[in-house]
Amino acid sequence: MKKILIANRGEIAVRIIRACREMDLSSVAVYSECDRSALHVRLADEAYAIGPSAPRESYLRIDRLVDAARRSGADAVHPGYGFLAENEDFAAACVGAGLTFIGPTARAIETMGSKTAARGAAKRAGVPVVPGTEDPLGADATSEEIAATAQSIGYPLLVKAVAGGGGKGMRTVVDPSDLASAVGAARSEAATAFGDPAVYLERELPRPRHIEVQLLADHHGAVVPFVERECSIQRRHQKVVEETPSIAVTPALRAEITSAAAAVAKGVGYTNAGTIEFLVDENGRFYFLEMNTRLQVEHPITEMVTGLDLVQWQIRIARGERLDVDPARALTPTGHAIECRVYAEDPDNNFLPSPGRIVALRPAAGPGIRDDSGATAGLDVPIFYDPMISKLAAWAEDRPRAIARMRRALAEYLVAGIRTTVPFFTWLLSQPDFAAGRFDTTYLDGVLKAQNGRPFVEPAAGVEEMAAIAAALHTALSPARPPANGGSTGGRWKTEARLEGLR
Amino acid sequence: MQHFEIEVGGRTRRVAVARTGDKFAVTLDDRTVHADVARIDAHTLSLVVDTECPTGATDPVRAAFEVTIAPDAATGQLIVGVGPTPVAVAVNGRRARRRDEASGGNGPQRLSAPMPGKIVRVLVKSGDPVRARQPLVVVEAMKMENELRAGRDGLVAELHAREGESVDAGALLVVVQ
Repeated sequence: MKKILIANRGEIAVRIIRACREMDLSSVAVYSECDRSALHVRLADEAYAIGPSAPRESYLRIDRLVDAARRSGADAVHPGYGFLAENEDFAAACVGAGLTFIGPTARAIETMGSKTAARGAAKRAGVPVVPGTEDPLGADATSEEIAATAQSIGYPLLVKAVAGGGGKGMRTVVDPSDLASAVGAARSEAATAFGDPAVYLERELPRPRHIEVQLLADHHGAVVPFVERECSIQRRHQKVVEETPSIAVTPALRAEITSAAAAVAKGVGYTNAGTIEFLVDENGRFYFLEMNTRLQVEHPITEMVTGLDLVQWQIRIARGERLDVDPARALTPTGHAIECRVYAEDPDNNFLPSPGRIVALRPAAGPGIRDDSGATAGLDVPIFYDPMISKLAAWAEDRPRAIARMRRALAEYLVAGIRTTVPFFTWLLSQPDFAAGRFDTTYLDGVLKAQNGRPFVEPAAGVEEMAAIAAALHTALSPARPPANGGSTGGRWKTEARLEGLR
Repeated sequence: MQHFEIEVGGRTRRVAVARTGDKFAVTLDDRTVHADVARIDAHTLSLVVDTECPTGATDPVRAAFEVTIAPDAATGQLIVGVGPTPVAVAVNGRRARRRDEASGGNGPQRLSAPMPGKIVRVLVKSGDPVRARQPLVVVEAMKMENELRAGRDGLVAELHAREGESVDAGALLVVVQ
């Protein structure tokens, strides 16, 4: 393996390019029309245009991706996450074109990518699953039939896309009268996001925690589970903060849940990287939720507490190497790591997307901080893709110190031109419930409701005054060159003239 | 001396800026601070601010701030980032529309598209009574469907959103009166 085509964009494409460079492999980027200036294109060794900005015409076009691989002479393809990462046809097309697919087999993707089939695989491995429908709802099922199925599962329940992920194509139904519209909305969102409108029903557990187990599996029969990640801080079923280890997982539960995850993976002959997600109820009982047959967004925190490079291992496994990782090392975290997903969204306006041009950006840095980002100043956040611009992760000796370090990093993170969720994280990480680890997957939606549209960071009086002063100085000086510091005589003269002229 | 009316946090502040030597004297209402300004780039300023000590007995505190300033496409305001805190600021009468919309005040609520996207659903008709926080329009952008909600109780006075239509940031969609 010498050259890897990265069938993705944004921060994850950058992450994979970095692994390639560290392993002395060539990297090939692909880009849509609006991504010509994106960071992954600038960092890769080669770059190929694959079509218009809409994902269906570029990043989801298997033919164009395989063609770019052929043109570049790549011998392997890394799909990242999202887009075609969990599409068995893509994996099969790569293999069919003589390319190594850096991920599981098409067959494993197909089995575990279908939520309903995956639940069957977990049951066969002796792992409990959340109660729900065995099969997808029929496309022509009448609303009466769906209502009857729902009744047998019990409310509240979730309508979930069979091909789903990331909270898309998912709806909670508390009141039976909302069922039909929720099924309709979930189907339409699933069709848009995944090209498959199939949905199924699942019982909603009361106040569960989301605990997941990262796995690596090689082609020689080794399966290594990693220390759990907790991803209970979710907004509308979308993870926003992840951490490892979980404050709620005892050593006994860790041994049990990681063994269960490994059993599910072994049962389906799984290879490469994957993650098994569980819900853990208030009594510490766990239930298989689903498997993600790809690299997870939140993989950096696992890397931070184990010191292992998951992307490099994906590549090493794909080229046939043995997974010679000490299982104890994978299960024994050093310190604690937290990740905040920084989104181009306005937390003070119902988290609406805030696309636009990033005019200034200085990510946090320094001890224990890792910023996985595809954003730079001068780039537009396009409206076509997921609005995550960065994954900010903090590692420290223990959880309180990791929280303190993350708060420091958030205070340092400078971005202008778009709204981001940074102020929201500043607020969240100062909440006593977060510090105490008192949360479950319903926590964040509950506190957001209680917040009722109030801003997360109420500017103190001094901050508002400073903003007024800064706005006045900025307006007075624009668009002059540096005025007070290092400006040329001409620049100062112009500033003076402008100030005089506006007297 | 340059004068500004700056609306921030629901208050209008009078700000005067004057150069004195290498520094700027900024008078906010009736208080003057001296600011040393370094422009880092077109949108970033480093300010070292002396707070004038009324008694003159001690040296002023030289407080350091890094601020970013960028226009907000949806509202025409400036967003001033003071550290990690974004503050919406309207300079010289660029009214703080967004705050008015968000707070359920007495005036009509003008609901605009906060980002470019596609109208996927219109959930109300002209003349419909609506309750605060009731979803009015669903806009799809960035692969997610986003509900735009009423900020207050009232009637749908104007409806400009049409299903299937693409809209730009700032486009007026609904007026609730």
